Amino acid sequence: MSSLKELPTRPAAAGLSRLNRRQALSLLATSLASGLAACSKPNEQIIPYVRMPERIVPGEPLKFATTLALAGVGRGAIVTSIDGRPIKVEGNPRHPGSLGATDVFAEAAVLSLYDPDRSRTILRDGGIATRAALAAALSNGRSQDGDGLRLLTGRTTSPTLLRQIDGLLQAFPAAAWHAYDPTDDDNAREGAQLAFGQPLRSLLEFDKARVIVTLDADPLGHGADQIRIGRGFAARRSGGAGAFSRLYCIESALTLTGAKADERLALHPEAIAHFAVALAAALGAKVEVSDLPESQHALLQHVTADLKAHPGEALVLAGPAMSREMHALVHWINAQLNAPVRLIAPIDRTPAGKQAGTLKQLVDDLRAGRVRQLVMIGVNPVYDAPADLQFAEQAEKAAFRLHMGVYADETAAIANWHVPQNHPLETWSDLRACDGTASIVQPLIRPLYQTFSDHELLAWLAGDADAKAYDLVRQTWKGTASEDFETWWQRALHEGVIAGSAAPPVATAAPTLPTLAPAEARASEFDLVLRPDPCLWDGSLANNAWLQECPKPLTKQVWGNALALGPGDAARLGLGSGDVVSVQSNGRSIEAAALVEPGMPVGVVALSLGGGRKRAGAIGNHVGANAYELRISDSPWRISQVSIRRTGRREPILTTQNVVRTPEDVRELYPLHHLTDTLPPAASANPPSLMPQTVRPDDGHAWAMVIDTSVCIGCNACVVACQAENNVPVVGPEQVAMGRDMHWLRIDAYDHGAGDAPQIGFQPVPCMHCEHAPCEPVCPVAASVHDSEGLNGQVYNRCIGTRFCEANCPYKVRRFNFFGYADGEEYGNLGAESYRGQKNPEVTVRARGVMEKCTYCVQRISAARRAAERDDRPLGPDEVHTACQSACPTRAISFGDMNQADAGINRSKADPRHYALLGHLGTRPRTTYLADIRNPAARPEGRT
Amino acid sequence: MQLFRPGANTIALLIMAAIGAAPVLAVGVSYGVMRSPYITDQNITRNQPVPFSHEHHVSGLGLDCRYCHTSVEKARFAGIPPTETCMTCHSQIWTNAEMLAPVRESLANDKPISWQRVHRLPAYVYFDHSVHVAKGVGCTTCHGDVGQMRLMRQAAPLTMQWCLDCHRAPEPYLRPHEAVFDPKWQPPPNQAEIGPKLAASYHINTGHLTDCTVCHR
Repeated sequence: MSSLKELPTRPAAAGLSRLNRRQALSLLATSLASGLAACSKPNEQIIPYVRMPERIVPGEPLKFATTLALAGVGRGAIVTSIDGRPIKVEGNPRHPGSLGATDVFAEAAVLSLYDPDRSRTILRDGGIATRAALAAALSNGRSQDGDGLRLLTGRTTSPTLLRQIDGLLQAFPAAAWHAYDPTDDDNAREGAQLAFGQPLRSLLEFDKARVIVTLDADPLGHGADQIRIGRGFAARRSGGAGAFSRLYCIESALTLTGAKADERLALHPEAIAHFAVALAAALGAKVEVSDLPESQHALLQHVTADLKAHPGEALVLAGPAMSREMHALVHWINAQLNAPVRLIAPIDRTPAGKQAGTLKQLVDDLRAGRVRQLVMIGVNPVYDAPADLQFAEQAEKAAFRLHMGVYADETAAIANWHVPQNHPLETWSDLRACDGTASIVQPLIRPLYQTFSDHELLAWLAGDADAKAYDLVRQTWKGTASEDFETWWQRALHEGVIAGSAAPPVATAAPTLPTLAPAEARASEFDLVLRPDPCLWDGSLANNAWLQECPKPLTKQVWGNALALGPGDAARLGLGSGDVVSVQSNGRSIEAAALVEPGMPVGVVALSLGGGRKRAGAIGNHVGANAYELRISDSPWRISQVSIRRTGRREPILTTQNVVRTPEDVRELYPLHHLTDTLPPAASANPPSLMPQTVRPDDGHAWAMVIDTSVCIGCNACVVACQAENNVPVVGPEQVAMGRDMHWLRIDAYDHGAGDAPQIGFQPVPCMHCEHAPCEPVCPVAASVHDSEGLNGQVYNRCIGTRFCEANCPYKVRRFNFFGYADGEEYGNLGAESYRGQKNPEVTVRARGVMEKCTYCVQRISAARRAAERDDRPLGPDEVHTACQSACPTRAISFGDMNQADAGINRSKADPRHYALLGHLGTRPRTTYLADIRNPAARPEGRT
Repeated sequence: MQLFRPGANTIALLIMAAIGAAPVLAVGVSYGVMRSPYITDQNITRNQPVPFSHEHHVSGLGLDCRYCHTSVEKARFAGIPPTETCMTCHSQIWTNAEMLAPVRESLANDKPISWQRVHRLPAYVYFDHSVHVAKGVGCTTCHGDVGQMRLMRQAAPLTMQWCLDCHRAPEPYLRPHEAVFDPKWQPPPNQAEIGPKLAASYHINTGHLTDCTVCHR
């Protein structure tokens, strides 16, 4: 009995509510009464300025030109700011790296600005510290000549930063500067060095190329030059057979370039090198060549013939995984072909001509104990350095370790000091585009937190504690202005480019043919090829929820990366998609989910960078597998001697949809013609229907969109642009696993290939705005209604969430707010106050329980109309640009008023390739497509 | 045995009538409440931190609406003037008036004045002042006789029905351009004649004006 007594028979007093019955009832009554009282409108205040800032009109957008960096290279942008908040990034038509378009990373930059996980204060050993303490620490340990000081930056093209580095190295001659970027292409640089004796950069002019051969390269894929190359590619993909280009792609893993290729061959990286040598030999190089297998031989003959037939209009390019000898060989081939490749001097050297040391040299110095002060600016080597360097371990040998970054990331964790860095939209700086054109980085907003610019930190290092980034940037350009500097400066800011700053082409002697090392024996079970991630790039953007939930173009995977392997290899290992495997190489191993992907050569697996972050933030931590843990510094893009073991665990691969592979669906929904085919007659635009004939009043507008699938490269810029413009929320991995996502615009992928030779096309699918919209008659509350200009509108306030419309929509473009994804039940930290700053005030933030979908950017139509009406002029046919249309690098999307005869949209609609998706249903969609055209080499035996 | 008293019939009849009438009444009452000033805030005068009188400034002094509401012709919002605007005059006249102490404090301490909002539209309504002004809809058409208001009040109900009445047939309310900011404008006797002409000259297309997407996005 005594033991029983010790058992508590009622809850402990601490857990009891102290309320008695009376108090509880009175509280209940109070809460009821206050609930009722809350029904009346709260008083609202209007708070005007005390002194009106110049140019600001409350609620009206202002646009400023700036520049955003990817891997240190600038892409011009025009950022819209409303009431002082930057809300949307668009391209700058004057900038050669943007040409008016954007990419996923530029579009998503505006979300990162408002990320609450950004670093906000100076840290010393993890605790908050003052600037004065940092200044003291900086001046203390430094010797007179900078002995033991090492500066590590990302690959940078900023003229101001490079000028400052020069200054620093002059003041401290014993110090050294190193640069590291995980997506850097060292082999290309060294290949140019081999061929020309100087590390020149190649600028590919796709708009002049009739024949393009890519050797394990992905020019249409994501990167700093994607927009310019994509635009050039698109220029040669329309029009008659006389100008149409042909793209040969020989690659070791499926890429966007491979998807759009006319002839694609999947080969092991070593076989690609053999192919390149054979190609050089066929073009007259005196190189030793081994016999190619029969299947490749046919392709080689076609490539050779095509290249020879188009001198001055043919180019070959090699990817980063190809050795430097191969790059040199490709330079030699291009010289033979007189290829449209412009060679320019490197854009990442200091004005004194100094080139940065490598990360490997830095680690050697660290290992030898030659580094006492290590200053790391805007880099995260603890996460993204090749594993064999053991950077974290070696860095500890420097007594003073300072890290500057936008996030207190993995590298900040091993540093004694961390300095928070400005977001690019908060700071003054400058950058160069791929072709060397310089432009100013202009802040859109005052720093949200106590953050500093990299220019300021460099000035502190040089002993100037009061320098401001603005003055430093202006100082750089003072000498170059030929006229009055203020006028020049205003124009540079306004136009977003510095006129005449493009790098001039370098005249070179004929490239020398490299001596090729004899091929090594192929002895490994698997080769692992690494790629920058199409959404997360190198992993530095991992805490951006838009990018995490952006479906990867070729797999539609979200929230993570997976190890791609071919169906043959998968069958041999007994693996299926979702099986977690252990990938081992050189004594290191990681675990990743396997994904069976057609188009992978036998013996090759692929993984994208950017996963497995540990200190990215609430969104990006522990998503996917970290490929850097297998990377080696000598061969960063291709890892040999890889073995794959299954772990027995399964991890579902989160995808938003599938790539369509059923042949009859593919043929119907994504027609793909060959250039030489005669196109089938267009289907009737108006099949018989029981629905009343829609009226098209001739005095009103009739909005329509045409998407050219032939030039769509599947880059996702439109998807993220739509998300930014229309306040489209992120749902999070758990919801995606339940089959939910909210993108108003998705990109369907269709595979026309047979078996293991994919031929993939991309089809962006926004709302079709059907004239006979199946969603409308089934809505019991008339929330889905048509307007007089052909828009299918969704009235959120009427919607009661029956989802009948979604069920009846043949295109499946409607999205339902199962939870308050944007309004109270956001994923992760997305509900944080700071993120509200990004919301577009012109678009309603949808609540839980309502249906939503693409509106053709009705707020932009309205803004253009109101502007026209204010000026008392008619609204022009091509005056409205939807967010997806402005973002598109290849200009695949056109939008306009088809009631005006001279609208560009009507020219697209008259194209013989024009077709309506599921047109036979009689929905009369306003969004229509142009069929894909491919230009394969005519070969009797078909594709290899 | 008599189960029901004689009055029971009347009660039963009343109950039956009520079953029919109650829903009608309920809907009617709710409709009435929704359109009543209790919900619409029509004609409710609000206290302001500074008792600014439109009557004095507009009718008395003849200030143009745009002197203070500067963005009415170019933006969605008409704009509430910054403290500076008040002080252009009040740094010269009534410099010591007690009534204006909050204005002087605002400028001295760089703290804005918090005005009570009088005209409030729901967040899902995207109203644009500039287009209405450009199309000949005058200030007082919606805001009432501002020139006679000491403290500002909301003259119109601002219900969707009220908006649509004009969007369906704007002709009776249209003015020539020069009269848009006239606080004393009254429709001329021949408005029925000139209204349609004005609508035509402003290119007003009523077919489109009742689309949901015109005001909601």
